[in-house]
Amino acid sequence: MSAMLARSDFIRTPVLASARPEGFKEWYHFVVHRPGSRILINFSLTSETSSAGHPRLMPRVIVIAHDQRWTGAVERFDDSELDVSADLATLVIGDNQMIVRPDGYRVMIDLPGHDIRGEFGFTSVSQPFVVNNQPVGDGRMCWLFVPRMRADGWLRVGGEEISFDGDVAYHDHNWGRFRWGGDFGWSWGTILPPDPEAPWSLVFLRMTDRRRLCSLSQALYVWRHDEPAAIFRHAAVEVKSHGLLGRAADCTLPPPMRLVLNGDVSDIPERMEVTAQRAGDTVHAEFRPQSYARLAQPSEICLDRSVVLCETNASARVTGSIDGEEIDFVGPSVFELLYG
Amino acid sequence: MAEHVSSLLRQSVGHLEDEVPDSYRLVLGTLGPLTVEVDVDGEVFSLRGGRGLEVSDGPTGAAGAHIITSRAAIVDLLDAKVGIDEAVQAGAVRVHGSLDDILRAHDTLLAYVHAAVRAPSQPKLLAALRTGPL
Repeated sequence: MSAMLARSDFIRTPVLASARPEGFKEWYHFVVHRPGSRILINFSLTSETSSAGHPRLMPRVIVIAHDQRWTGAVERFDDSELDVSADLATLVIGDNQMIVRPDGYRVMIDLPGHDIRGEFGFTSVSQPFVVNNQPVGDGRMCWLFVPRMRADGWLRVGGEEISFDGDVAYHDHNWGRFRWGGDFGWSWGTILPPDPEAPWSLVFLRMTDRRRLCSLSQALYVWRHDEPAAIFRHAAVEVKSHGLLGRAADCTLPPPMRLVLNGDVSDIPERMEVTAQRAGDTVHAEFRPQSYARLAQPSEICLDRSVVLCETNASARVTGSIDGEEIDFVGPSVFELLYG
Repeated sequence: MAEHVSSLLRQSVGHLEDEVPDSYRLVLGTLGPLTVEVDVDGEVFSLRGGRGLEVSDGPTGAAGAHIITSRAAIVDLLDAKVGIDEAVQAGAVRVHGSLDDILRAHDTLLAYVHAAVRAPSQPKLLAALRTGPL
């Protein structure tokens, strides 16, 4: 398992963005599910073109946390503050660092302007999985995910320190070329049982058009302990949304974007059901969102539009059976709705 | 001594022109012929368009829209502690002018925010804005 992760996960930007910079994006995403709180950490690199026509990389570090409510920061750095090690295993952005190790990741966060600091060790306890060339609008994206990791460490955010000791976590790594604001949207979620010994881990992804009227692809990935137990794709998956959550976002990041994303209304569903059936296996997951943060990404299509990613904490009830083994738990979930 | 808000705005629009020229032109086009006079804690300056965005110190007699606010209120807006509607209702931001001019000033503000979030230089200017008396 460790060797598989080390073989699969390395920083692509120095190779792929150097060869063809236009539209290239890469990001490392970590989600920690701790009882009572969720932590999202993201290291991202986006290739831009300067006004002189030269490619440049825009590095960002994002930390958002939900305890009583969502809070956090998005910090953009100058490309002079970016360094990728020659072995493509260490990404440094300012005083923040992410290291790909044979058995997982080490992440150090230092955003003094936002009073956010932390150190994490993420240890893989499940096999990674790679999805190649996922269509994203008029582009393509690859993503590698690790459905379950073990998180140890601490994070200081919002004036409070949160400790992690063997908490469950999720990771994905994404790279490819596409444009924010293109004709796409997505719903993505991670569901993990609260008990680290419980065997099931689930990841869900649905790609749609921008208006979310047309489903382009969808899949529910179910891992049992460290291995894939079932992968349900396309017509094997049915998604239904019910009602509206009916509450304003806890926060909008970066905060100045609240000026252009004013308003208290969202179309986060009150409840979302994912039902998957194939070859005698069946899984039903029901998400009940509780609150959300808005991450605003400037559109690369329109100068006066933004793409909004709603990071939503939810409780998820999962039932079903795979290979005759029953699944039945209520666990923490984070899902992300991208509005184009 | 804290840098004047007019100086920070002048630097900001200068960087926008260099770093995100298409967004800069969108701000310029949205502002059109309007001159906006801004009073921040008694520091009076104006923003006008034409061939380029120009920030001028002191009062102007040609302004169609007048905004009276404080450095603290601007920072609260940029930190999303309040929305602009709440700030206006609370009197932290006061606006005078014809409805058309106020709407144009508001649209220009939105175009400016869209431009600023695309430009790498702006976080340092925001940090400088915070160093003033809040």
